[in-house]
Amino acid sequence: MILKKEFIHIIRDTITLSLVLAMPIALVLLFGFTISTDIRNAKISVLDQSMDTQSKALVDRLSASGYFQVVSYPNNELEIDNDFKNKDIKLALIIPPNFEESLSKESTVTLQVINDVSDLNVASILNNYVRAVVQGYASDYNDQITKSTSSFDITVKMLYNPESNSVYMFVPGIITLIMVLVTALLSSITLAREKETGTMRMLLITPVKKLYIIIGKVIPYMIISFISTIAILVISVTVFKMPINGSLLMLLFLCIIFMLTAASFGMLISSISRTQVDAMMITMMGLFLPTVLLSGFLFPLNSMPMVFQVLANIFPAKWFIMAIKDVMIKGSGFFDIWLYLAILFGMAVVFIIFSISRLDKRN
Amino acid sequence: MSAINIRGVNKTYDGKTAALKDITLEVEEGEVFGLVGPDGAGKSSLFNILTTLLLPDGGEISLFGMDVIRDYKSVRQVIGYLPGTFSLYPDLSVQENLDFFAVMYKSSIEENMALIEPIWKQISPFKDRKAGKLSGGMKQKLALCCALIHRPRVLFLDEPTTGVDPVSRKEFWDILKSIRSQNITVMVSTPYMDEATRCDRIALIQNGKIIGVNPPQTIIDQFKGKLYTFQSDDIFSLMQVLEKCPLDCNYYPYGEHCHIAFYEDMDTAMPAFKQFLAEHNQSHGEIQAIQPSVEDCFIEIVQRNN
Repeated sequence: MILKKEFIHIIRDTITLSLVLAMPIALVLLFGFTISTDIRNAKISVLDQSMDTQSKALVDRLSASGYFQVVSYPNNELEIDNDFKNKDIKLALIIPPNFEESLSKESTVTLQVINDVSDLNVASILNNYVRAVVQGYASDYNDQITKSTSSFDITVKMLYNPESNSVYMFVPGIITLIMVLVTALLSSITLAREKETGTMRMLLITPVKKLYIIIGKVIPYMIISFISTIAILVISVTVFKMPINGSLLMLLFLCIIFMLTAASFGMLISSISRTQVDAMMITMMGLFLPTVLLSGFLFPLNSMPMVFQVLANIFPAKWFIMAIKDVMIKGSGFFDIWLYLAILFGMAVVFIIFSISRLDKRN
Repeated sequence: MSAINIRGVNKTYDGKTAALKDITLEVEEGEVFGLVGPDGAGKSSLFNILTTLLLPDGGEISLFGMDVIRDYKSVRQVIGYLPGTFSLYPDLSVQENLDFFAVMYKSSIEENMALIEPIWKQISPFKDRKAGKLSGGMKQKLALCCALIHRPRVLFLDEPTTGVDPVSRKEFWDILKSIRSQNITVMVSTPYMDEATRCDRIALIQNGKIIGVNPPQTIIDQFKGKLYTFQSDDIFSLMQVLEKCPLDCNYYPYGEHCHIAFYEDMDTAMPAFKQFLAEHNQSHGEIQAIQPSVEDCFIEIVQRNN
């Protein structure tokens, strides 16, 4: 009955409901597209000083990679400058004269890349793409002519692994954020709301067991958050081609356990706060920030001071992110991550017991 | 057996604010017992303790022989509570609220329809309306329904008529009479003295202390002074003038009138008083002797205690 009532609350509060359902999808799309370090169809210029078969083949290969779109073929370096200013190109490639000849005669051929470094990130990513494409080209060329001495010297530095796909890194983090946000935040607000409006008193003097009150409050938010999680996974898999290497069942089971932990953390928070605003602030400071900062989602944990590394252990998010990365990327099964599951479940039990004892405190 | 038995109950908040000081009360089964006192007198604190939501610092309380502090779970089975602030779900409809509390108490609306029927008849036309959109009087009637849904043996009503219009207030008290006829003990608090006369017995409470427990008529009979009322054009200056009055009297504004209670022989006091008013240029209406109300009694007791 508490369950049913809670659902009515949620459905009647259409703004919150639509926010809760739309936000995860918006968030994953935003993160996926904007924070994505993948660049497609970057505009480039090619100054081809040899204009022979091999130089054309290289340029074709660049265009075909999908990363680049050759927008102009300048005739000299001065024109490259103009292209940077007028055609908004991100990179220019200069192929030296007698390219084909050099390839067959010399062991090393030097290509020059000119970058627009006003955006350092974009520049370094593009450099890596160029390098990858050119290396691919070189190995094919060597295979063709069975002469394995030729190699290319590209005068740029490698910062990123060009094939690393940033979405893989973000999806587990976003799932964690959403689950914390929906389950913990909303469930912490719901109990605090009952306190604020005085309905908690009415509930307390009924003969209903405290555990049922808590469970009735936790489950609806778990279900909503479960729907959100599924939506995120579907988008990740279909739009961003995120692989799920482990078993899907395992992944969902892991999510449910984490939701339970997050929701019971929310209960804990609302059992110690008096008003909805209190609950919101405590969730933000006590759970949301640690989840973003101390879970290893944005900032690697092992580069943090020891204090924070130890501190991170008490927040459920760290364990969950480790587990979900294992399942999604490494394809781990139950026996690989059972410790994480046990920690998360144990936390949930402790939180629930504590919030029940707080709930019926008569002073 | 008495329904409610309170012995020497104390409550202090944060170690400083004493809300209740040595409260001792006994409420008989089937009584409508009124707790009358101004805001901040400690009425709600006492209700919170009686409804097992708050622990007292000391003293004993029992409900039908059950200890409220130790057997709070069994106590919760037999009490109905209507808190001073609206405490139902505003986004649930009237029907949904009632259903919810019925299930919480493992009861059903049908089971106790006979009990709540007089109230339900009044609110059922609005049963699909959200509780938050009801008028003040309707809200309280719904809350009363919810508090009665499990047929409690004792009903605690904390200022049920505060913020409710006079017509609804009268209806509400009529409903209380009918509840009483169902052998349900009612303990009700109110800051409105005029409502107190509708209780079987009332306890006057001020600053956390009980200053008198009696049937309303007895309290009125115990009024010691002789009460008069008269109209004045300027109550404010009248009050200032009366401060200098040499007679043994107690005066206070009462709407547009001034109430004054004398504790002297009126054959000599009245002419002296009229002369006093004339000397201080106070025009006034006719000075009439009146029967004291509970409010007059309350004020007298408070003043005499000081």
